[in-house]
Amino acid sequence: MAATREVISTGNELAAIAAVDAGCMFFGGYPLTPSSEVMHVISDLLPKIGGTAIQMEDEIAGICAVIGAGMSGVRALTATSGPGMSLKAENLGLAQMAEVPLVCVNVMRGGPSTGLPTRVSQGDILQSKNPSHGDYKSITLCAGNLAECYTEVVRAFNIADRFMQPVIVLLDETIGHMHGKADLPTVEDVKAGIVPRKKFTGPAEEYHPYECGPSDPAVLNPMFTGYRYHFTGLHHDKNGFPTEEIETCRKLIQRLEDKVEVHKDEVESYEEFMMDDAEFMILAYGSVSLAAKEAIRHLRKDGIKAGLFRPITIWPSPAEKIKEHTDKIDNVLVVELNIGQFHGEVQRAAARLDIEGLFKVNGRPISPYEIVTKVKEII
Amino acid sequence: MGTFETVNPGDQPVWVNTDNCKACDICVSVCPAGVLSMKYESTSTLGAMISVDHPESCIGCNDCELNCPDFAIFVADRKELKAAGVSFAKLTDEAKVRQEAIVANNYMTLEGA
Amino acid sequence: MAFNYDKYLRIEKMPTLWCWGCGDGVILKAFVRAVEKMGWNQDDVCVVSGIGCSGRFSSYVDFNTVHTTHGRTVAYATGIKLANPDKHVICVGGDGDALAIGGNHTIHGCRRNIDITFIIINNFIYGLTNSQTSPTTPKGMWTVSQKAGNIDPTFDTCKLGVAAGASFVGRESMLDPKKLEKLFVKAFEHKGFALLDVLSNCHINLGRKNKMVSAMDNLKWIDSITVSKKKYDTMTPEEQLNLLPTGIIHQDTEADEYCDMNEEIKKVHQGQRAKISQDDFAKKI
Repeated sequence: MAATREVISTGNELAAIAAVDAGCMFFGGYPLTPSSEVMHVISDLLPKIGGTAIQMEDEIAGICAVIGAGMSGVRALTATSGPGMSLKAENLGLAQMAEVPLVCVNVMRGGPSTGLPTRVSQGDILQSKNPSHGDYKSITLCAGNLAECYTEVVRAFNIADRFMQPVIVLLDETIGHMHGKADLPTVEDVKAGIVPRKKFTGPAEEYHPYECGPSDPAVLNPMFTGYRYHFTGLHHDKNGFPTEEIETCRKLIQRLEDKVEVHKDEVESYEEFMMDDAEFMILAYGSVSLAAKEAIRHLRKDGIKAGLFRPITIWPSPAEKIKEHTDKIDNVLVVELNIGQFHGEVQRAAARLDIEGLFKVNGRPISPYEIVTKVKEII
Repeated sequence: MGTFETVNPGDQPVWVNTDNCKACDICVSVCPAGVLSMKYESTSTLGAMISVDHPESCIGCNDCELNCPDFAIFVADRKELKAAGVSFAKLTDEAKVRQEAIVANNYMTLEGA
Repeated sequence: MAFNYDKYLRIEKMPTLWCWGCGDGVILKAFVRAVEKMGWNQDDVCVVSGIGCSGRFSSYVDFNTVHTTHGRTVAYATGIKLANPDKHVICVGGDGDALAIGGNHTIHGCRRNIDITFIIINNFIYGLTNSQTSPTTPKGMWTVSQKAGNIDPTFDTCKLGVAAGASFVGRESMLDPKKLEKLFVKAFEHKGFALLDVLSNCHINLGRKNKMVSAMDNLKWIDSITVSKKKYDTMTPEEQLNLLPTGIIHQDTEADEYCDMNEEIKKVHQGQRAKISQDDFAKKI
């Protein structure tokens, strides 16, 4: 069992600390409730170690500065909420297309539009799958407790460098502002676990950043190190220059899909809580999973064998694992703070149309009592 | 698509890379000495191509090279040219008159077509 | 030839995709000559461009190059520069890219006075997308989105830059490539945000339906609306009305540069100096 240290903090603060421990040297962002604390904390932590945190003039400038820093070779972070994600969409697409690693923390709040700025929701699940237009494969993680606000951000940076693309880490307002105790890995273990992006070490004339295997990410050497190439959001050839050539364009999009799809086992992560003998499956993620676990303890006392399946990597979704369970369990209930965004994915994965749902969209958390009541209703 | 590589002939005051020339007429219009003109060229996109008709009149002002948007025309370095035994010319009235005639001829060459 | 362009160009990309006679090529040449004068190592230079004909600038030069989304050039460049403050970052964008969709980022680049040179290639139209009105298209001209005649007033790019806080503001056109090259060199040497309004001709989009069919006609028009700043300053307001001054419009060598101030923040957090306070600045508001 790896050593841990006990820290008392909030989810937002832990996300900021995690980024710095994971080697982040640049933050670009904009204030947006309920994510602003990430920026407040990191703006003190980064300059101490020679990094830079900048509050840009708007959300779009925030992500652009982060992508620029990422292009130059630095681990970079931004933090926002729903409305900010909507603004960042176009440029997240460029980061996907040009294969620039970065981590984008989204502390979800009531939506759509201005919605409920200070209240919780999980309404950005579908948006995280496709924030921008076109074909690409999103990698989205969701923290389900305080410690994961730290560990998932650390994991996100390593995943971003491995797959050379943005990684979205979803918190929600409850977890972002939750203040409590977290058992974290030691800084030494985090530092030892940093896997930076691959670099080409041969002669510059032989360097082709976007020439790679059909399910491999691009190998993008940091700027200013003697390897000069081109970044663009247009379809591009092996050196990054714009092209419209038929086969090159087809292969590029297919590779953007396959680089994640073929290796999704490397990012898959979920928790199975009391699922071994479960006869009732609850699926929940984020802060709702905390209520779900409490509800399951109550239900078990009442003799109902409930269990929780908690996706930690939301996209790509753990479809095969979900189906493994839903093939065996009749009663499946998806509990989420939106109108059924992941519920649709569960039905698709399970190839069933009878998955139950407990949805809340008014900015209030779901209590264990509500889950217990709903489960008993279904049985 | 052209090969940008332009070879310096070594003993010419001005030379062109016809692979890059888009026949925009700008160099012809800025030359003070009637050195350049456009000739008809059926295989080029605009049907015309740059022609260095009177290199002996080139004064080395560099205006054609600096104003060319396409890296299609180059002027020799004064010292390099001297080493090859060639000098830039002085601007003569005859050259000025010829330039005016070329401009009046819509930048097309005055030599036989 | 006297100058080795091969060194700085991605020659396998030539000839450029710009139209015959397009000013972008002349500006590219002056830019390359200016970089040579600076003696910079190509590995230390980053050119960031936006969307538009001018956006293709970055793919022709052999530096670390980035082709960003429409209007966001300065925002990307700010991230690159802050993460690598000792490197040379140059932005290239069109009038639409810099002043319409990118207006906000241009303004804040000027305000921060970060050490970036922003070359705005102003051809008074949206060229790549075929003749739509831009924030500098003269009133009354024909554009494809205002075929009855343009009613949109124009920005004066340089006045905007000065008001937004840029410490170096200049304007030249591609009519005089020698002056343009000198302006680039001065801007590169300047420490702070350098906003350059570089007037260019688009006879294909702006000119064709506005009585300037050839490149030369378009250049004559640019000549007719520009005058040196020295002469401009002696003119009456009526005379100045339809003229744009060229040269260095504004330069402040004392203004705080953003990367330098960012280093001060690092020093505060590392205990090497006291917190920054209002007393550190002459201009306190």
